[in-house]
Amino acid sequence: MAQAPRPQVNSQQHTQPLARRRYALEIRQHMAWRWQALILAAALLVGFAISAAILVAAGVPADELANEFVMQTFFDGQNFRAVLFQAAPMILVGLAGSIAFRARFWNLGLEGQMIWGAIGATTISMWQIGPENLRLPLMFAAAIGCGLLWVLGPAWLKLKLGVNEIISTLMLNYMAANFLLHLVYGSWKDPKDNFPYSPQFRVFERLPELGAGIGSSIVLAGVVALLAWWLVSVSRVGLYLRFVDANPRVAHANGVPVRRTIYGAVLLSGAMAGLAGFAVVAGQEGRLTQAFYQGYGFSGILIAFLARNNPLAATVVALLVAALFVTGRSLQVFYQVPFSMVQLIQAVIVVCVASSDFFIRHRLRRVGGEAAQ
Amino acid sequence: MSGSIMLNWLASTPDFAVPYALAALGLIICERAGVLALGAEGLMLVGALAGIGAQIAIGQPAVSLVLAMLAASVVSVLFAVMVIWLRVNQVIAGLALVFFCQGLTALVGSMADWTNHATEGIGAMALWPLSLLPGVGRLFEQNAMVWLTLPIFGAVAWFFARTSTGLRLRAVGENPQAADAAGIRVTAWRFAAVLAGSALVGLAGAYISVVSTKLWIAGMTGGRGWIAVGLVIFARWSPWKALIGALLFGCIEALIPQLAAAGVQLPQYFVMMTPYAVTLGVMVWVALSRRGADEEPGALGQPYVREERR
Repeated sequence: MAQAPRPQVNSQQHTQPLARRRYALEIRQHMAWRWQALILAAALLVGFAISAAILVAAGVPADELANEFVMQTFFDGQNFRAVLFQAAPMILVGLAGSIAFRARFWNLGLEGQMIWGAIGATTISMWQIGPENLRLPLMFAAAIGCGLLWVLGPAWLKLKLGVNEIISTLMLNYMAANFLLHLVYGSWKDPKDNFPYSPQFRVFERLPELGAGIGSSIVLAGVVALLAWWLVSVSRVGLYLRFVDANPRVAHANGVPVRRTIYGAVLLSGAMAGLAGFAVVAGQEGRLTQAFYQGYGFSGILIAFLARNNPLAATVVALLVAALFVTGRSLQVFYQVPFSMVQLIQAVIVVCVASSDFFIRHRLRRVGGEAAQ
Repeated sequence: MSGSIMLNWLASTPDFAVPYALAALGLIICERAGVLALGAEGLMLVGALAGIGAQIAIGQPAVSLVLAMLAASVVSVLFAVMVIWLRVNQVIAGLALVFFCQGLTALVGSMADWTNHATEGIGAMALWPLSLLPGVGRLFEQNAMVWLTLPIFGAVAWFFARTSTGLRLRAVGENPQAADAAGIRVTAWRFAAVLAGSALVGLAGAYISVVSTKLWIAGMTGGRGWIAVGLVIFARWSPWKALIGALLFGCIEALIPQLAAAGVQLPQYFVMMTPYAVTLGVMVWVALSRRGADEEPGALGQPYVREERR
């Protein structure tokens, strides 16, 4: 591995000038875009190669891999619709992660906020609040509100008391998940068949289909992605966020409302995660189920990281992760590969991309002679 | 609460406390060297799976526990290379490690068919002569790992407080620039700390699968690794305080089955929230008492970049 050789601190021991040639590690100030892209592509390639090797080791025939991933997922109409279907909540959690990370807030509570968003939307449906034609907007608003409130606590604790948000948001995930179980195994259980899920939503409580089997939740996610892009790239808030991300203290000295900016970004993140919960219950499942949120929190964080917190990039990455989810499900059915494989592949790709950053930020230079000193 | 329930509760506390204690201790070793170790949840799973695998194959608990420690260390090399050599953001690297381990252990566990495969664990070991005391004697009938945990804590605490190697390790976490100038090899020390700490985290996971529940279920650590991360903050990076915190958490977790046995009706899922709620409460308490920050290793979470040394 590339590691800095020890510089000769005590030069008195070396009576000879340092004639030996060696390699020194240097911080690179800037790298041309095309080289950065090349390194990223190489990292992804390595990640895919490792993932493919794991899949083959897990019993998927090697010649079926390309077929499953590329042909079945993107070029088969039905599967492509499944990817779009899956992508809506994925895009929303990815955006939620990106916005919070832009404010230097590690919101690892995306799953908890998603659960609460879903619970909020389901509450409106269960108690039949509001007239039928307003039901869906009310569920939408409830999901946003609940997701936002669930992240308010950690945000306040972090900004007021300095409580580490990584731990607090994670603990709230586990609490939300247990509360969800309390509901679906308790008073919210479907009286029709006694399975642990809420009664089915009525037709007007579900996100409508646009035609050709494409759900409107993907449109919702797309609109939110555009708004998020406008917010971070065009609006004043986006500028504030960049200031806060670079250096909160300097930002404060320059008159940026640092606390309000962080609160805004974090609450928005919670609202988006809540919306993702809405997208799952009203767009996919049509009811509140016990484990609908699993895998989204991690995926959201990874999407945000891979997209470098850029909303448009997050949308593209989320589509790919959605494709991975869909493929994972079909592998589960056809080759009995456990669904955790999806998580493993995500982690492998993140490890490769994160590690490749090293080669963007550093360079090895051959040095020799006096120059080494 | 009647006396026997109280005694049952106290007697079962160490069994719940040991995983927290060992994991927190491993994290303290790692974080004292300046490496923020968020991967505990994943490494505990690796330890738990490796432990049960060895238990099924060999059947010797001592061997299984050692192999589990080795397995967790080996997996943590990936994390160490990322954060120490490649200088990847430690939060991202830690999270990626957790996802990686969760996926890997679920995959290997199901492919090797180790799920729900009951094994023989370790029997109780009475601490003579305390175990002969009337009434409270059964508090001293614990498995060997419980008794072993105490000398492990003693050794680590002594290492940090009394040895020059311990001082070096802390220097690396406190101010790597100064440590480097003093001739301490920052990279090597951090590597050693990550590997050693991860071994203890793996042992904590193996305790859950091999000694406590005696079987493997995917994702069986259920957030204990994250609670251990919170516990380290509560303990302000001090081993003995971590032991006290672990006992506190053990008490709370041990209370749940005792209450159920006593016929106290509590909403099940709210009861299952308590460890997480308590962790959150403890974090708030630490923040309110404003004593957390000053003990935090100075360079925690920061990669050491020698080329940027000034």
